[in-house]
Amino acid sequence: MSTEPLDRASLSRRRFMAGGATAALAVGVAACSSSKKSSSSAGGAVSTDTTAPSTTAAANGDAKIAMTAASLEVLAVGTYKSALDAATAGKLGTVPPAVATFVQTAMTQHQKALDQWNSVLTSAGGEAVTQPPPSLKATVDQQFAQVTDATGAAKLALTLERIAADTYLLVGPSITDKKAITLAGALQCVDQEHAAILNFVLGMYPVPDVFQNTDQAFKG
Amino acid sequence: MALDERRFDELTVESQDLQSEAMSTAREVVPDMRDLANDRRHDGVDPDQQAQFGLGRRRLLRNFGLAGLTAGVFGPLISSIVAGPAAAQAGGSIDVQILQTASSLERLAVNTYGVALALPFIKSGNQVIVKFAQTTMMQHDQHRQAFQAQTTALGGKVQDTPNAKNSQVVAQALPTLKAPADVVKLAMTLEQVARDTYLSDMSMFTDKKSRTLMATVMGVETQHLATLRAVAALLAGNGAALIAIPVDPAKLPAAAGSAGFPEAIPTPSKASPPAEGAVQ
Repeated sequence: MSTEPLDRASLSRRRFMAGGATAALAVGVAACSSSKKSSSSAGGAVSTDTTAPSTTAAANGDAKIAMTAASLEVLAVGTYKSALDAATAGKLGTVPPAVATFVQTAMTQHQKALDQWNSVLTSAGGEAVTQPPPSLKATVDQQFAQVTDATGAAKLALTLERIAADTYLLVGPSITDKKAITLAGALQCVDQEHAAILNFVLGMYPVPDVFQNTDQAFKG
Repeated sequence: MALDERRFDELTVESQDLQSEAMSTAREVVPDMRDLANDRRHDGVDPDQQAQFGLGRRRLLRNFGLAGLTAGVFGPLISSIVAGPAAAQAGGSIDVQILQTASSLERLAVNTYGVALALPFIKSGNQVIVKFAQTTMMQHDQHRQAFQAQTTALGGKVQDTPNAKNSQVVAQALPTLKAPADVVKLAMTLEQVARDTYLSDMSMFTDKKSRTLMATVMGVETQHLATLRAVAALLAGNGAALIAIPVDPAKLPAAAGSAGFPEAIPTPSKASPPAEGAVQ
């Protein structure tokens, strides 16, 4: 693996989209194209083997991770949208201003993350992911049906953020494309930030772990 | 100030239990890494990277005219942060350099939180801020130990000197610290430097286990940063009384719900390069 230093100035979103991530993923996307219809539920079949994979296998792995990540972002956007709709319809009682702002901002940020992954996938010749992981969505839907107030919505949001952050942590070492590694790391960070603020709002210590773990990672 | 002391202590104990588990995991990683040490210890690095790091304690003090402050209020504080000559060791793999720089940032964070906790307006101020500073200092110290253990496992020399470049930032800021908001702002700077450095480093590691360890730490530094941003927003909005655990969410201003995460996709704009804190 190359040890050349990453050009820090090249880490902007625009350059990421135009850069090598899409090219590196192209082979993998093509290889995964036969299963595009079910790609959103492909899950995080992530190897932790430290043996260097072949170029094709590595690209396949990156593409699967990109699709899994995108599907989780679809789930987050959809769930936050449902929470907003429920709040607007008065189904969550009085929603504190900070919680309302949180939901709106987090939803927007997850949409940007989804756009980013889908841009990578489509630029590499694949299809955008538009569906959440079915099994996880079913579980979230079950839990959402029991939400009756803003606190319940915040707790469900915390669960989703932990799943996303822990998944990015889990898959990070399996990604081979350098810019995709940075994107996954950046999204791990923002999801951890969401979790910290939700912890605080829910009356818990905002930084409960000394080291982040992968306890709640989505494994497909 | 409002603090549910019992609940806070429970949460701290839970955090420490989790830390013990995590340290156990980190220790499991280290023996595997020893197997890689012989392969990696002779790997060269880009000479340009080596050249980027060159600021020592003497230069730091000279550049900022701080040598004469040793008898003043901040003299001991500054000395505690920048004390100690840099150890001498040339070379090292990119992985070792990254881990050494990370260790230098963690050492600086530990020292700086320690100094902050001694400031009168912090010590006698909001006890949630005090607890946060204490807990965060402990967490950074565990990060330092983990990075140092991995440095050793990879055959490198442990870095335990505070990061020179960012020590300058701290040294410059110390005389200006007059209120909790000033301390929070300084802590935000250090947390962002650490978070950004680790994010930038993610793609540079040649060793996956080192990358994983750093990612587990990065996920915590970014939570420190988010929390500090929220606290800063509350302080700026005359909401110091809302810095409480548990907090009444109904009383929080709307901005508190988004101040912690201003970027949808964080970019590592304040990252230290791998060689910045490498042992020379």
